[in-house]
Amino acid sequence: MTTEFDNLPHWWGSFTFPYEQGLQWRIGPLTLIVCHRNGEWHLGHQRAENFEDPDITWEVCRTEELPETLDNHSRYIFSKAVKELLVTPRLADRPVISRPRVPFNLTAGEEVTLYVSSPLWLELALALGASPPIKLEEVSIQRPSDTWFGPSTLEGELCYASATHCRIHLDELPQRAHRAITPVLIRNQADTTLTVERLNLPAPLLSLYVCAEGQLWTPRVTLIRGRDEDMAELKIDDKPPEEINSPRLLGAPRQTAHVGALIRAFNAVFS
Amino acid sequence: MGEFWGEIVSFLSSERLWGATRAIIVVIIGLTTAKLVSSGIARIVDKKTDLHRTMLLKRGTYHLILILFLITALHQVGFNLSVLLGAAGIFSVAIGFASQTSASNLISGLFLVAERPFTVGDVIRVGTTTGEVLSIDTLSVKLRTFDNLFVRIPNESLIKSEVTTLTRFPIRRADLMVGVAYKEDLSKVRAILEEVADKNPLSLEEPKPRYIFQGFGESSLDIQFSVWAKRENFLDLKNSIYSEIKTAFDEQGIEIPFPHRTIYTGSVTEPFPIKTSGDQPADQS
Repeated sequence: MTTEFDNLPHWWGSFTFPYEQGLQWRIGPLTLIVCHRNGEWHLGHQRAENFEDPDITWEVCRTEELPETLDNHSRYIFSKAVKELLVTPRLADRPVISRPRVPFNLTAGEEVTLYVSSPLWLELALALGASPPIKLEEVSIQRPSDTWFGPSTLEGELCYASATHCRIHLDELPQRAHRAITPVLIRNQADTTLTVERLNLPAPLLSLYVCAEGQLWTPRVTLIRGRDEDMAELKIDDKPPEEINSPRLLGAPRQTAHVGALIRAFNAVFS
Repeated sequence: MGEFWGEIVSFLSSERLWGATRAIIVVIIGLTTAKLVSSGIARIVDKKTDLHRTMLLKRGTYHLILILFLITALHQVGFNLSVLLGAAGIFSVAIGFASQTSASNLISGLFLVAERPFTVGDVIRVGTTTGEVLSIDTLSVKLRTFDNLFVRIPNESLIKSEVTTLTRFPIRRADLMVGVAYKEDLSKVRAILEEVADKNPLSLEEPKPRYIFQGFGESSLDIQFSVWAKRENFLDLKNSIYSEIKTAFDEQGIEIPFPHRTIYTGSVTEPFPIKTSGDQPADQS
């Protein structure tokens, strides 16, 4: 093994597998076992039901347990001898709709920076030296609930739902290995009060950084509400957030953002 | 024999042969032109419209060009087109009477294409038949049902009857019918149902699940609990959430009753006492 599992700074990175060796990740509710044997890669994962652990601890360790024993099992066969597995954190492939536990109001002309967390996925890929890695699959640490974001059931888009505290003070933020934090600056330039019950975080447009403490962050997202409606102009910084020290880029966005795009950013609650 | 050869020679040197040759050349040019033009048009509109419309436009263009060239070819051979068209008019009236059903299906097919209630690949329900649309043809629509049967539905029937397209919108609502015993606390039942929906990742957080009390059933309190799901997850959600509701009800001691009869004597009473006795003496019976 290239890494000492007891002292790993984080759960992602490059892992070299000797033959017949299994490795297990436990991150919050997720148990993932990867095994390399007979020229095959076996992947197995399952999530604990009713998991409640606010701290979400994680560990990576050797295991004798077989991936086949878990709920979801898949098998990959390669003619080449591949021994290196790349585990990369990824943001959601759909927008994440954050629902503040307590809705808040932003009066006309006000602006606020909220810290919104969003769920993460593990991307598993095999490293092939100079060639680009072969992606095997993505596994979510916590499967977020699906939700619909739009003014009606005919118009809108399918997203993931996430409950959040929408904290406004950096020092109140818990350090959690299974979620990424996004600073969201909301500017209410309309002449009416904005009540935020739901907030659209465009996760597929965000890149992912890791700070010196190991917490995952995304660039700052700015939402400018110009008129009395739920739409807002979207701006995404092309640099890491100012809040973190020694940022290192971990992954590019899944999609390219259009500069100054107008998105449905708030609420869209209907009955 | 000499007379026969004479006729052949006179035919070969006659104007009719040249007319026939010209007609054949016109038909060959027509076939080539029709093929090239229709393929070109199909390529141009390919990305702008769906597969079915592209195919229809390609076929229409091909046949229109070919008919024009055939008429020109007939003219070259020496047919009098006005007589031919007159005959065709009378003939088409006769054919029209004889093939009313086919004509009706044909026209209905055109309306279906124009109205576009579904396209190839959609899942539709017509009457009691539900299946995936394989093709929308001139006379009928072909479906593949989920038990893998091939069903042909005439276009006329589709125009006249109610058609439900199941794959039109990205999300769907599943109406779950739940019955609980009369003794249960409905507010507790509602809280359990909402918690089950909240924990199921396939159940959409928004639109919110809807709880509707349907009334006092014969042997249960009838509740409709409606949850939304991504269209592709509809069946998975229905299967998973019913078993989760059952598990949650079992854990919380909520009774799901089956139809039964309880006999009351006018007010809430104790159950009727039943006593069993041994064999009665013969003289008392």
